[in-house]
Amino acid sequence: MKLLEYEAKQIFSEYGIPVPKGALIRAPEEAAAHLPETGGAVVLKAQVDVGGRGKAGGVLFADAKTAVDTARELFAREIKGIPVREVLIEERLAIEHEYYVSIAVDRSSRQPAVLFADAGGVEIESAASAVRKVIVSPLLRDIPPFLMRELLGGAPKDLAPVINRLYRVFQEKDAMLAEVNPLVTTPQGVYAADAKLIVDDNALARQGIAVNRDLSEREREAEKHGFSYVELDGTIGVIGNGAGLTMSTLDLIEYYRGRAANFLDVGGGADQERVMHAVRLVASMPDVSVIVVNLLGGITRCDEVAKGIIAAGVAPTVIVRMAGTNEAEGRQLLGEHGYRMLESMDAAVRAAMEVAP
Amino acid sequence: MIYGDKSLGVIVQNITGRQGMFHTELMNAYARDLGGRGVVAGVAPGKGGREVHGVPVYNTVKEALREHDATRSVVFVPGGAAGDSIMEAAHAGITLAVVITEHIPVHDAMKAIAYARLHDCTVIGPNCPGLLSPGECKLGIMPAHLATRGNVGVVSRSGTLTYEVVDELTRAGIGQSTVVGIGGDPVIGQTFVDVLARFEDDPLTKAVVVIGEVGGNLEEEGVRSTDLPVVTYIAGVSAPPEKRMGHAGAIIEGGEGDARSKVRRLAALGIPVASRPSEIPGLIREVL
Repeated sequence: MKLLEYEAKQIFSEYGIPVPKGALIRAPEEAAAHLPETGGAVVLKAQVDVGGRGKAGGVLFADAKTAVDTARELFAREIKGIPVREVLIEERLAIEHEYYVSIAVDRSSRQPAVLFADAGGVEIESAASAVRKVIVSPLLRDIPPFLMRELLGGAPKDLAPVINRLYRVFQEKDAMLAEVNPLVTTPQGVYAADAKLIVDDNALARQGIAVNRDLSEREREAEKHGFSYVELDGTIGVIGNGAGLTMSTLDLIEYYRGRAANFLDVGGGADQERVMHAVRLVASMPDVSVIVVNLLGGITRCDEVAKGIIAAGVAPTVIVRMAGTNEAEGRQLLGEHGYRMLESMDAAVRAAMEVAP
Repeated sequence: MIYGDKSLGVIVQNITGRQGMFHTELMNAYARDLGGRGVVAGVAPGKGGREVHGVPVYNTVKEALREHDATRSVVFVPGGAAGDSIMEAAHAGITLAVVITEHIPVHDAMKAIAYARLHDCTVIGPNCPGLLSPGECKLGIMPAHLATRGNVGVVSRSGTLTYEVVDELTRAGIGQSTVVGIGGDPVIGQTFVDVLARFEDDPLTKAVVVIGEVGGNLEEEGVRSTDLPVVTYIAGVSAPPEKRMGHAGAIIEGGEGDARSKVRRLAALGIPVASRPSEIPGLIREVL
């Protein structure tokens, strides 16, 4: 789950990473109460979860006189389609130099990778060649000094403790990504001017996060039943078991020039109750006119699945392909209730195409 | 066959759980038919002294290995505790841990895999169906009746999609040497590179089916590393960006790891790429 900038900065701050003085406001007028005592400049940053926020107009500069009006302007905006409900107001830093640092899970080495660049800011994506990368053993608590030297090159040594604290955040907060872009030097010291933190969805519970905000309401409902569910915009509903087989079913729909309405993986050992909930959930999407059920596996009981489909009793046509135990019983049950059970996923998808508009 | 044969003893961690019990019996039924040793002991902390389908249960891996000769472990321990169980197995002398568990926190997986490597223990998974060498041995949860012995290796990030492909191969009269599910998580112990290296050393394997999906670029890395004839299939060409498609690792992030560009890069290497599972047997025949 992605944290917003202000949430990430709060965590950074707890770990001793300097962040600009600031406050979260939910209305333009609140800006007046959070101006720097020195009367200096401020930056207003929309707290929306989008990439390229600055370029999309989500970051505005102001001074003591213009802060409230500028905040009003920002609250009135939509950033890449997302309305601005929260704004972080911060003192503006006297930046001497911008750097880039991020720590991510490196799939290839199965270990954390730390990336650093001498030039941070908005253009980092196009400057991939200048990025230095070191791999750190996950069994170590800190980045060892020899790797830190390799990472920093000629950059100031006082960045090192900040990067080590970021590494601690990465480890202890179960982060998939901890990024500071830009990490800046100022006459007052080093600051994390921006902050990005993505928490591992499989560690939300132990991080004390009760609700995964990245999921839609229907996706969360699906999660309660133990389904993996993603909403798409087509007309053919899909229910499969196993992520790979379900994805493959979606691809097959596209192969035959159809459009899938969703991805729903019911998980292992789907019984009558779970299948019924899955079918009803997919049927509840307004555009779905036909549902393809594609289940395969040693322990899936076809008669249970058939009972679940029949019990769901939904309006869209349900076309079934399944293989497992009690296949003959399942086929007979479905046949008695007017459902079609086909031999292969190709045949099932082609049959669905005949129904879908 | 790779990673093991029927002469090797197996333990099951969390053997008293629903999945652990059920699959212990299936693995042992498979071993009995072939005259293999199968699961010789189980582990469940606090439940030592019991039996599951005739298999004795111990409190720790160390105790189990004191009484039984085993080098393989199949891990059914739930998410938050699974990392610790992998380390326990490696520490006690298990040399191959097959981790079925889904929803292991990624930091636990990274630590456990690194720790296992220090103890010369190979980890397959997590979030995987395990492996099956038809007619030889089964470690994990793959339905054995779909497979048949032959000379095509199968390596996949998926579970049921693998069964689908194995079923297609068997129906087409193409047998399998070993089928390996490496797991759907972002961090896994054995990647395509590792499994393909094992297949290269296996006299039985003449060609390999590589089944990948969206997320990362491990498929290309694997295919580049081998001299064996390879056929690939990549699931998720219709997957939208930034959405997790069931597997924790199946996500297109920062514009990277989408299936279409994977397919393009594989095709550019001259590798046959099936556009649907049913095309795989035909493509395999061409490279055999």
